[in-house]
Amino acid sequence: MLQTVAMPGSVPEAQRFLSNLEGAIILAGGTVVMPVLNYGTDAFTSLVSLRKAGLSGISVETGKTTIGAATTLTELEDEKALAFLHPALDTIASPTIRNMATAGGNLFVKQPYGDLTVCLIALGAAATIAGAKGERIEPVEQTVSSGVKAGEIVTQVSFAMPAKDAFKFTKATRKAFNSAAIVTVAAVVVLEGGVVSSARIALGGVAKTPVRATSVEKALTGKLFDRAHVEAAAKEALKDIDPADDAYASAWYRARVTPVHVRRALLGE
Amino acid sequence: MKHSVVSLTINGAERQMLVAPGSTLIDVLRESQGLTGTRRGCEQGACGTCTVLVDGKTAMSCMLPVETIEGAHVETIEGLTPPQGLHPIQEAFLQGFATQCGFCTSGMIMVAAALLAKNPNPSREDVVRAISGNICRCTGYEAIIDAILDAAVRIRSAAHAEAA
Repeated sequence: MLQTVAMPGSVPEAQRFLSNLEGAIILAGGTVVMPVLNYGTDAFTSLVSLRKAGLSGISVETGKTTIGAATTLTELEDEKALAFLHPALDTIASPTIRNMATAGGNLFVKQPYGDLTVCLIALGAAATIAGAKGERIEPVEQTVSSGVKAGEIVTQVSFAMPAKDAFKFTKATRKAFNSAAIVTVAAVVVLEGGVVSSARIALGGVAKTPVRATSVEKALTGKLFDRAHVEAAAKEALKDIDPADDAYASAWYRARVTPVHVRRALLGE
Repeated sequence: MKHSVVSLTINGAERQMLVAPGSTLIDVLRESQGLTGTRRGCEQGACGTCTVLVDGKTAMSCMLPVETIEGAHVETIEGLTPPQGLHPIQEAFLQGFATQCGFCTSGMIMVAAALLAKNPNPSREDVVRAISGNICRCTGYEAIIDAILDAAVRIRSAAHAEAA
């Protein structure tokens, strides 16, 4: 049963609440925490809301885009400079959930959700984390695989804008809208004279957390960016995934279709 | 457990209420404000039947602790309904037989109101996208989509008539 809902006005204040209140959990958009609370089986006794902690907002500068952790997915959709993320955001839940769910919260949702995080990993995004001893900045993929310590708060994510047409995305789903991933593929592929000079590829829905497809990246780099090479590289994805069964798809099916969707994402098929 | 006083503007009227920690917007609307047009469904964010507008945007009222939205403007189905008669979206639902059991209707109408405020001339796909977070367990989706498209026509022609 909840005893307190704290509304800190800053990150340091939020950190104080987190360390002083017993059984405290961070509340961002509430789309994950509130269902748990409503179910009534949790042990949380305090919520520390980030809604008024000054963590909303998007700054797009040359070379660097920064997204505050409490920025909603709808706010991201409405940002014209981030139009390349629109097809990905449009696949995440429903417009109403996107009005509530936040960029920071997306890093911590269970698979097969968290498609924005898959994009952030492909973009090579960094997370800024406020802790007891100050701030640290680390790759989003590290935050996603190892989590954060009690009392720490992700305050923002930042990344370099991808070159025009370098960002690729596809998500295989059961329904046209509002469906979790069978497999999500996001990638940033840079070409020089038709040859892949660098590739960062991330996959969602096919492991315990979103993962880098490093085997595909390795197989693709230095190769001609044509169907034959992409198809061969996409098959390497099986080395990077550890899919599970859930209501959306079986592990067998996910493994079967992952290389196909990697190829389709990369080639824009 | 410490109660707190929260101020909200609900359907245009300023309200202050004493709430227990973590009371959700739907708790307040239904229990203390008597606004039972907003339905309590799954409480998991999956069904959309509790949808209201918070500062003009759709939100699921079962997932919003009211302490976190102090000062917000909330609009419910009661606020959408004019003092006399029905809102054009309600008219379209009624005449298009878009209510079956009616449990999802207020959520569907609030989502439709938000869509039409932003996009007065939506495509069928826009409507499907807008209601994608709202479940009609009677599965009457086609009639609901048709009604929202019909409501768009009604609202546009009313605006046109007013201008002329």
